[in-house]
Parts: sequence; structure tokens; C-alpha cells
Amino acid sequence: MALTLDRIEALAPDQPSLLAARKLLKPASWPTLAESEGLAWGECQGSGATPYRVVISETDDGYKCTCPSRKFPCKHSLALMWMRAEGKPPFAHASPPEWVKDWLSRRRKTTPTIEKDDPEGYSKPKASISLARQYEETEKDDPKAEARAAAARERNRQDREASMLAGLDDLDVWLNDQVHRGMAAFVAQSAQACRTIAQRLVDAKVSGLASRLEALPTRLFTLPENARSRAAVEELGQVYLIASAYRRAAELPADLVAEARQAAGWTLTRDALLGDAANLRVKGTWRVVANITEVQPDRLRRVETWLWLESPMEPGPRFAVLIDFVPVATGAAAGGYLTGDRIEAELIYYPSSLPLRAQIVQLVGGAQITGDDLELSANTLPAAYAGYERALAQLPWLRTWPLAFHSGFIRRSHDALYLCDEERTLALPLHAAQATQLLPLLSMGSLRGIGLWDGYQFTLTWAQTALGRWVYA
Amino acid sequence: MNGTALKNEALPSLLSGSGRQPFAAGLTMDGLSPANSEGALKLLSLTAQALRFERPPMPASFSIETAPNDTRPIVPAGLRRPIVRLLAGKTSTEHPAIAIARTFDRLRWRPHPFDLPALDTFVRVYAEQLGATALAWANRQKADAPDSGYFDAETLDDTNWMQSPPGRRVRYIETQREQDPDRARASLEAAWAQQPPDVRLRLLQAMQTGLSESDQPFLESLDKDRAPRVRSFALRLLSRLGSSHENQALQDCMQRIRQTQAGLLKRRTVLALEIPATVKEEAAPAWIRALCAEVSISELAATLNLSETSLPEAAAKDRNMLLMLALMATADRRLDLLEATVAHLENAWELLESSGLDDLGLMSVKERTQWVSILAKPYGRKLPERFFSWMWLHKMTAQAAPETLLKNVLETDWLSAVPGFDRHGQYWTEIIAALAPAPQRPALRQLLHTFDPTLTTTALQLVDILDAMEKSGTHV
Repeated sequence: MALTLDRIEALAPDQPSLLAARKLLKPASWPTLAESEGLAWGECQGSGATPYRVVISETDDGYKCTCPSRKFPCKHSLALMWMRAEGKPPFAHASPPEWVKDWLSRRRKTTPTIEKDDPEGYSKPKASISLARQYEETEKDDPKAEARAAAARERNRQDREASMLAGLDDLDVWLNDQVHRGMAAFVAQSAQACRTIAQRLVDAKVSGLASRLEALPTRLFTLPENARSRAAVEELGQVYLIASAYRRAAELPADLVAEARQAAGWTLTRDALLGDAANLRVKGTWRVVANITEVQPDRLRRVETWLWLESPMEPGPRFAVLIDFVPVATGAAAGGYLTGDRIEAELIYYPSSLPLRAQIVQLVGGAQITGDDLELSANTLPAAYAGYERALAQLPWLRTWPLAFHSGFIRRSHDALYLCDEERTLALPLHAAQATQLLPLLSMGSLRGIGLWDGYQFTLTWAQTALGRWVYA
Repeated sequence: MNGTALKNEALPSLLSGSGRQPFAAGLTMDGLSPANSEGALKLLSLTAQALRFERPPMPASFSIETAPNDTRPIVPAGLRRPIVRLLAGKTSTEHPAIAIARTFDRLRWRPHPFDLPALDTFVRVYAEQLGATALAWANRQKADAPDSGYFDAETLDDTNWMQSPPGRRVRYIETQREQDPDRARASLEAAWAQQPPDVRLRLLQAMQTGLSESDQPFLESLDKDRAPRVRSFALRLLSRLGSSHENQALQDCMQRIRQTQAGLLKRRTVLALEIPATVKEEAAPAWIRALCAEVSISELAATLNLSETSLPEAAAKDRNMLLMLALMATADRRLDLLEATVAHLENAWELLESSGLDDLGLMSVKERTQWVSILAKPYGRKLPERFFSWMWLHKMTAQAAPETLLKNVLETDWLSAVPGFDRHGQYWTEIIAALAPAPQRPALRQLLHTFDPTLTTTALQLVDILDAMEKSGTHV
């Protein structure tokens, strides 16, 4: 049964959804549009770091989108249906990619609910496509209002700065208390202690440090018991460094100041990021080498998509990480891309002395699935680790750093797994959460790979072995 | 002040607490004493950085890992993801897993080692059918996992049969018994003590092939075996050899059988089985199975002074007696007698299921297929509508069903008319897909496409996978 505009109206949760969908009818927003046997899918570049993947079933009005919207269907799904119903732009005929097949295999029998309170069959739709077409955003050209708004924004900014500085003073007092009590005692009551200071920092709008401290107890308790007190020294020391750098902004290089401000809690909007010509942009072919998700204490799911630049044309960063935050309740467990995907894209990096976090400026086409290996012949594991040490010297509160290496070996000592170099001069403890998945690599011999080092544990995300590619799922 | 000094002098105070162990007086930061709060925090941050530049300690030693000697080829790359998606995802039943495991075994393939974590549940249940690497994976956490490497050679001989998975050991002995029973028994005796109890029982069942008086000393030695089931089965074999050992189970059986003569002109024997009044009707099949579990048809016929082939006709009027004969014929792999019995017992399939029969012993693939054909034949197109009957059938044989059975499913609307299909259709489509032999899969696809797609997703995935596996592999 082909989709019709009437059907889409009936499915739309409300008029604003249709309005939002209408704005997405531009082909430029959809680097991928394809169809096959009653299915249609696409990738839509939204406000998130990674494009949203959308699939619809024309036979039974099923749909799925990776965006965090709580409206069903979301504007992306509606826009895809709308384009399909109108037959423009054209959809390429293609075999469904793996992410579409995964959705099909997980589908449960559901029927989109359409209320039947009308004796003749269906209730009147809550939304109207014709109204959506007629709606025009008229820009209200009011210089005085704009000036008032700008002044209000500046006042708010100054208020926030003052509030944050006061919050950092409270943080100093709290840190001194922990130094006085000692790290062993701190670890024992870290949950309560961190919850208390985090709340104060949230009130003071120092949300970045609040999140860091709120997540600290969990971070400590993933480590072996005998390592936790020293780790507490490291973590609290970094918190003080961030606070200190924030206060001394006038004395520090701009990149480091930008990092300190982001770490403290200032966010950079996509528009501001794109609007700054000084921000580093890199075009190229990228491979997705890791998808890492983590539920934060604030009930947001942090989704990291790590990219590796396949063919760098000039010196610059080889890695980039796209970070999205989605509400846990939406159930989206992963970003839009699968590990191994290849994308042609221009990325823009957030300002930093060590460019790593980025957003996609523009995609050329959609993601391609490929089994190609990566060229990872540059560094042995010790050489890659030395790169981490250089990065740490540049950014003292560096959290996670990607390492690309060759000639690595997975080895076991008692119950723990390690990534070692061939000469056994370096042994990085592997993250306990991936122990089961790593077991098949124990007898694989030498491998080339990519992973993430967080200062305590290494998360292997990609390995090229004699038996093919292993990826962390 | 360098990192070493910070770690030696500031770290102890940071760990214990400056309140308990004050910082050394000489530790000043930018002119600030550590007694000053700012000075203390600077010490904290610098010590933290010093620690961050420490490389992780090298463990004193590492284990030596040995990979199992697995000669099976790995499943083709294009099949890995569909198999993981199906088996690690939501299937309604275990039947897709049974079908895929038997296909792995038949093609002598193994799963890719990197997929073992995702397929952990599947591998632990079906490890014997998946090769040495899968066996090692399934046993990796067991305290009594063998120290020797796992092994599953293509061809077994006297030097390596002991290292293969249990199922293959049993088949090896059975094959050897067909060719040279005494030599096979000698191999078995030499390896007997190293076998776990369940494997000893299965190996002993293989001794039924080529059973002769020369086996008697070995069987008599098993009266000291630690496993009761091994001891009782050995007794059963001895009684077949006509030894002086009494089979108590046979005596118990005979006490329940009433043997009479009927007919005026031509006398014929009539057999009936008396069920105790305390056994409820629904429990009778299980009671009957327990009664005859250790009795062979040949023993029974000899004791009744009847030929084996005359037993089904003698029991024709008594359904309990017929069920007992069906159970015994199954256990003894006497499919000729089973067929004659089922001719009088049209719902033998469901009765055998309700008896709790859970093992077809050493029946070959061909015998299992024939066994299903015999049980299904009386039903014609009015096949059982209880899902558990089909589930039992598949689990008993772990094979594709005979084409005659599936024909009645595919050429009628029986499946869609099964009660509850609209709610539980996914269970039915999965099991039918798992049972369908390869030549009937095109017809099955056509049938599945007539149903609601949400009822056939996993069934169609399974059919695709099985077709692709068989197209890529060679049949053994």
C-alpha cells in the first residue's frame, strides 16, 4: 500500500511536527535516500553530531529514526514519508543496508494507532499538510527587540560568569576538605561527597565539572581496589586544574582557555562553531572505528562516534569524535553509524590545542559499508602511547585519547587481559567490560588496531587480525 | 620539584589525609606553604599529573594460550552477520538454533571465533556440533575442563578417537562394532575409565551393535561401575545374551502383561497391558515408558514365546500394549516393528510425546527420518495441532522432517488454521522453517509470504540462511 498524504496526516502526532517535517523536505538535508521492496530509508543531517538514520515501511506504516525525539513519528520520519508520497526527490533503488536489516529483524508486530472515534471510520487528523505548506516564517525585523535580546544575553552571560566563579570557590573548599581527610577516606564515601558538590556546581551553572564529579565514583569503582585512592588523586587534581585554568583565562593560550571553558560547562552551539572561521575544518574520507555509549548520572546517554581519516592530504588530526547526547528514555542505544562505515565528509573541530571533538559540516552521499582494512602501519604500541603522553603534556585534563598501533598482542595475566607490544615493554590493562569479547583474540597473535586509552584502561575498538576484522560491539 | 619527589613526599599525605599526615614542611609551591589551602591544592594537581605520566605496571607473568586444533573451515564471511542477527536476536523458539547447529555439523563448519561471544548461548548448547573451538569456548569456565587441547579431526582412528567430542566417539565405536566388534570392544575397554558417566552410557549403547558372547566378560565387569544407569544397561545387554543374569525389569513387565488366546477356528494370541488403578489416565504413557525402559523386544518376545513380528498383531486391541511396543521398537531401532505397531495406533506421535520419551539413542539420521515418517503417516493431513508435539518431534530428531510430512503442511491451509496462529504464528513458522527439507523451501517461502510479515520474519531469515549455507558448503 503506497503512502499517501492523507495517511501521513493521520499518522502525524500534531501540526508542529508537520511544520518541522516540511522544513526537512530539502534534498540537501538528505545525503542518502533509497528504497527497496516496500522499504524506504535515508540519512538526514540534523542538529546532532551524526546524521539521523530513518527507515519507513510502506506496507504497514512502520518507521524508525535514530533521533532522540519523543514524538512518534518524528519530523524526520514524517519528512521521509512525505517525500516518498510525493515522489520527489527520487529515491535510489538499492539493497537495504545492514542497519535497515537490523531494524527489520527486531520489529515487533505493532500497528500505528489511529483513533476511531468517527462512526464513519477515522477521526479527523490532528495535523494538516495543506496548512503546513501555507505556513511561512516571517522574520520579524525589529532592531530594538534584537538589541534588547542581545543585552539580555550579555547580562545573563555576566551573571553566569559570576555564579561560576563563586561555584569554583566552593569547589576549592570542598577539594581542600578531601585533601585534609585523605583520598582513602574520600573513595569510601565518594558517592555522597560527589553528589553534594555536584549539586552545588549545578546550581552555580558549572555543569561540566558537576558532571565530571558526579561520574567520578563510578569511574573509581571500575578500577581494582588497590588503584582507587591514587586514581582519586589524579581525578581531583584534574578538577582543580580545570578550575584553575578557568580562573586564569587571561594568562593562557586561547585554545587552552576554550578547553577549560568547555570542561567547566560552557557549550558551543553548532551555529557558533560553524560561524567561527578560525575553527579547523578537515575534508576527507572517514571510517567509523568505534561507537561508545555511556549513560551519565544526569540520565542522558552520551554517544561517541569515533572517526579515522583514511587518506590525510595534509598534516593534521587523524581522529575525530562526534558526540551526541540523547535522553535515556528514547531508547536509542547507538549513534547513526555502524563501526566500519565509510563517509565522505567535511568536519569542523571544536577549538582546542588537541583537536578531537568535531561535528559534520557536510556529507557527500551516505555512509558506505565496506570491509576494507585500515592502513595502521605507522606506530608500534609504545610509539602510539608516547603520542598520548605528548597530548597529556599539552592538555593536562585530557580524558580519552585514541591510539592506532601495529604489532599488538592480547595477553592474559591471572584474570586480567592486557594489550602488549611485541617486546613486552608496555602492557595496557584492557577494560574489564569487554573481557568476554576479547577472549577470541588471545590466540590471534599480532594484530593492528585502534582503541581508546582513558589513563587507566584501554578499550580496544578495532583489530585487524589473521582471521579478519574484530570490532567492539 | 620533580615527579619522583612529588610521589615520594606529597602522595603519602594526600592518600592518608593532610590532617593525619601533614605535608612535609619543605614542600612549597610558588612560595605557598602546603598548609595554605591554595598550596595544598597545587600540590594535589601536580602530584596528580606526576601520577598520570606513570606507565601502567607490567605484570610479572602472562599465561600461555593454546588455540584448539580445529580443522573445520570457518563459516563464510557473508553468512556471519545474518547468523548472529538471527541467533543473538529475538527468536520465539529454539528451533532456528537447532536447524543451524545441525547444518554446521553436516557441513563440518565452525562459527567464526569473533562471533562466539555474541553466540554464547547458542554455542554452549550446541558446542558438540560446532567444532573444537566452540567446545573450548563452551567449556572455558568449567572447573573440570580438560587440560588437553580440544580436538575434532575429520577422520578418526584408534589414535585420536578419544580426543573427539563425545557424540563422535560414540559413532566411531558403533562403526567399529559393525566392522570388528572385538577390536572395538578392546578400544572401548582401554579408554573406559577416562569417560564421564553420561558418555559411558552412550558408548555402552553402541555395544548393542554386533553384541555377542565374547562381550560377556566386559559387560559383567561393569557391575562395579559407579553409574547406576551404566550397570542396569549392562545387565540388559547380558540378559539379551541369555546369560544367567536376570533382568528384573523384564519380570516386572511380564507381571503386567495378560496373555490370552482368542478365536474359535484359528487361535491367536492376544496381549494386553494392565495399568495399576493408581495410575491416572494422563500419566499412563509415562508409566508405561518407565516399565519397559530396560526391556528389549527380543527378550519380551522370547519370554512370551512369540515371534517378534507377531507382537504388534497380538497387541492390536490394546492401546497401552501397543504404546509399550512402540516405545520398545524405538529403543531397539526396530523400525519394521514400529511401523507394524503404529498401523494400529494412529496417534502414536502424540502418545510417544506424552510418555516423556526424550532420546532416540544411536539412531542414524536416516533412521530418524524414517521414524518420523512412520509416526506421521496415520495422521495424513490432519496433523497434530499442539505446538509441543511438533517441538518434541524436532528436538528428538534434530533433523529436517521427511518431505511427506511437510507436503501436508505446504499443500493445505492446515498451518493458518491451527488454533491460535494469529497470536502465536511466529512459533509455528519458525518450527516449520526449521523442519523443512531443502527441496521444499521454495514452496515454504511461497506459503510464508502469504502471512503477515511480522509472523514470518525469523522464519524467512532462517530459510535464507539455511539455503545460503547449503549453497556455499558441501554436503557430508
